[in-house]
Parts: sequence; C-alpha cells; structure tokens
Amino acid sequence: MISLIYGLITGVLFGFFLQKARVIRYDKQLGALRLIDMTIVKFMLSSVIVGMVGVYLLMDLGLVKLNIKSTVLGGNIIGGLIFGLGWGLLGYCPGTSAGALGEGRWDALWGILGMLFGAALFAEAYPALKKTVLTWGDFGKITFPQILGINHWIIILLFVIGAVALFVWFEKKSI
Amino acid sequence: MGSNMKDRGWSPYLAGALTGLVMVLSVWITGKYFGASTTFVRSAGLLEKIFSAERVAQMEYFIKVVPKIDWQWMFVAGILVGSFIAAKTSATFRWQAIPGMWQSRFGTDPTKRGVIAFVGGLVAMFGARLADG
Repeated sequence: MISLIYGLITGVLFGFFLQKARVIRYDKQLGALRLIDMTIVKFMLSSVIVGMVGVYLLMDLGLVKLNIKSTVLGGNIIGGLIFGLGWGLLGYCPGTSAGALGEGRWDALWGILGMLFGAALFAEAYPALKKTVLTWGDFGKITFPQILGINHWIIILLFVIGAVALFVWFEKKSI
Repeated sequence: MGSNMKDRGWSPYLAGALTGLVMVLSVWITGKYFGASTTFVRSAGLLEKIFSAERVAQMEYFIKVVPKIDWQWMFVAGILVGSFIAAKTSATFRWQAIPGMWQSRFGTDPTKRGVIAFVGGLVAMFGARLADG
C-alpha cells in the first residue's frame, strides 16, 4: 500500500517537471526526431547525469542496488527499431502519453489505446519470440564498467563530458 | 510566434536535473527505478481478465508480468496528475485533438490523426516490450 502511494507521489513530481519543461508535446518529440528541437534530449540527458551520479554514489555507500536489465541484442536492436517507428508515428512515448493527456492533448488517448493493444499482442507473441529473437545475442546483465574492467566513475566522467559537449553544441546551433 | 515566446516553460536542464534528483530519491527510499511500459502490459492483462480470466492465467507473459496495480502503475497515473496540475497552474492546459506540427503537415482531420496515433502506439509498445524497455 505504501509503495502505491510512493509511486503516485513520484509520478506526480515527474509529470509536473515534464509538463513545466514542455517536453511531453508531440511538437517537441517530433522536433527531436527531426533534429530541429533538442529540448527533450537536454531534459533526458540532464536527468540521466544527475540520476547516474546520485545512484552510483549511493551504491558506493552501500545504500542502494542497481537494477540491471539483460542485454539481448536481438530484442534490444529489433525492438528498438520497431519502437522508434511507432514513436515517430504517435509522437508520444509510453510515459509521456499519460502526461500529454494530463495537459489536454487528447490525441494521446488513441496512442494509449494502441499501446494497450500492442502490449496484448506482445503477450500473445511472447512464447514464439522467447525461443527466437530473445535468444539472439544474449549477454545477460552486463555493464560498461564491468566489460571494460574499469572503475564506474571513469565511464560516468566520460558520459558527463560528452553530454555537456552536446549541450554546448545544441545552444550554439540554437536547437 | 508571440504565444510561443510566452510558452517557453522551465529550462529543460533544470527540470531534467530535478527529475534526476527525484529518480535518485526514489531508488534510495523505495528501491524503485522509473519505467512505464510494463504498466501497459499489466493493464492489458487486467482488461483481458474481464473477458477471459482462465486464459490470462495460463499465458506465459502474464505469468511473468502479473496483471495488477503496482508502484509503476501508480507512477504512470501520477504522471497524468502531475502534468495536469502543472498545466492548470500555468494556464497551458488545452484540449487539443491535433498537434500543431501534425496539422501543418497532415491537416485537421481528427480521424486521420487518431488512426495513426493508435497504430503508432501499438507498434511502439510492441517494440518497447521486445527490447524490454
């Protein structure tokens, strides 16, 4: 029960920030896919930087555990390509479609309905996919620091430098 | 253009960083990482259960991802509520069936937009689940 309340509070905060930064709009999402408006990329990378530093700091202090998903190249690559195709058509992703509906952009409702059907369809296809695509290139739960055999803070530093360089370039180009 | 200038909102860097902070607190306090697409699977299962509970109970994917209302389900519902509060308090809430960029390219037919949005949602969710994202 308490977990449900935490979920709601966390979602409200996230939805609030998403709306304030105007990143849940179709125009912003398509703007990013068309490489003409990088607002959502700025938002995403900023949250990833803070999240990455914070979570790894807490992990080093022994306070939290990472929740790593398996790397399955077949599923990740083919699924990613299919997701991108759908995202470009809909203009909202699963989380932001709820946010878009919250600010009155109700075309998101058709997207949400489609996503429910997509989830149901995937559940039907799962037994077949599990034996094929989801066995291709299965590397298990791997991370960059682990496969490269280096300290995670080196990766974090490189990531932050890369993201900041991108930010500088976006601002110079005014995108 | 004038209304666009007024409707800039918060800096995406600031709002993104605050989101990162909430993410860290969430992991620290409850051990929960952000996600949304699993909620659509659980919801689809909950809806299918209304029509055929026995079938859902036997499906491998719904055994793996149990149809129920959990932390993430409330998180996704919260996104809707949070966005509504932010929109209402900044007078940016607007009932809109056709996004601006869509309209300037594909016109004002809401059916056309609805069909493409539905198909897009279906395809996107299938892909997201395949990638386990």
